Amino acid sequence: MTCAEFQRELPEYMEEGGNAELQAHLKSCSDCSGLVTSLETIVREARELQASEEPSPRVWNSIEIILRQEKLIREPAPSGRRSILPSLRQRWGAMAWLVPTAAALLVGAGIALYQQRPNGGRMAKTTTPAAATTVANGDASDEQLLQEVSVRAPLMRAAYESNLRDVNNYIRDAQDSVNANPNDEEAQQALMDAYGQKSMIYEMALDRSLP
Amino acid sequence: MTDPRQPQGAGLSEAQAIEQAKQGDAEAFEFLYNLHKRRVYSLCLRMTANTAEAEDLTQEAFLQLFRKIGTFRGESAFSTWLHRMAVNVVLMHLRKKGLPVVSLEEATEGDEDTPKKDFGADDPVLSGSVDRLRLQHAVDQLPPGYRSIFVLHDVEGYEHNEIATMVGCSIGNSKSQLHKARMKLREFLKASRAEKAGKP
Repeated sequence: MTCAEFQRELPEYMEEGGNAELQAHLKSCSDCSGLVTSLETIVREARELQASEEPSPRVWNSIEIILRQEKLIREPAPSGRRSILPSLRQRWGAMAWLVPTAAALLVGAGIALYQQRPNGGRMAKTTTPAAATTVANGDASDEQLLQEVSVRAPLMRAAYESNLRDVNNYIRDAQDSVNANPNDEEAQQALMDAYGQKSMIYEMALDRSLP
Repeated sequence: MTDPRQPQGAGLSEAQAIEQAKQGDAEAFEFLYNLHKRRVYSLCLRMTANTAEAEDLTQEAFLQLFRKIGTFRGESAFSTWLHRMAVNVVLMHLRKKGLPVVSLEEATEGDEDTPKKDFGADDPVLSGSVDRLRLQHAVDQLPPGYRSIFVLHDVEGYEHNEIATMVGCSIGNSKSQLHKARMKLREFLKASRAEKAGKP
């Protein structure tokens, strides 16, 4: 058998092993035996590529958000917390972005009034430096949210604070876009999504704390 | 080595997680995702050679799975079901992009190729082991048609008859392309070795 003949039989040899003639050629030909060894090495090492890579956390975060939006994830038993996302857009259409903005303003105004009362400064005095930084990046209601997460899910506080900072930046960018182009539906949608994410990270922080 | 599909301490088993996911339990979904994410993502990455596309396809595969999890009755292994779904998602994506999942041009190359006498002359490096990153890089360089068959057969362990059904080619075609893919990989690995040896 020649090397050319062996090479023609090589695919079958790799699949099912060779007959006596192929084996005899391999024993006598270092070129062909080297080739077979190389291919066998590739086949063996290829299995190492299975499950060798890890997706970024972004993938699960996206999946979880979609599962919640599609209500495939069952929301926990009522605990006084409600998402601002459901049906908001359906009810308000293109003006939906006004709702979270207005809500944020109302919450902010409420907190400001509360703090002006004689005993209203107590909460401010208990605020940690990190919370103060978050408030500086977001609005006054963030402080309350952070306090609540600190109390109800202390282990989630650091992650929540980091996420809150990110989402506040996102909201600020989206708000700038809306201010620049008030009729831009994409900018409005981005702002809506940003507030949706803010609501989501809050709910996720508390959900993760459940037993 | 522990089997991740068995109960771990107070944690879930895969079967328990499937049942809880059917009820909409968030922790169960996350458990199933964590159990299978590496294999699904690696499959997507090897098939596309693009991390952004691989992440999007991983997301799509798991979403399809979770949307249909209520119909899973356990006749087949859950992992088999998921991985087949992931393969279909990737193949559909490649078709939409106009990339061949089986390269017709490459598949019709016949046996008339002139055998090369130097093919096995010096393979001392390949005869031992191949660095995973080098092999990974070589796989990424394969034409999409070869890459699909190689990944499905040699990495994921599908049989030729299964691959033929999934990608829509003959069993002979699958075998032929697999062999050519391996030969190409060997060329790439030898070139890579030569390049590395040439560096000061």
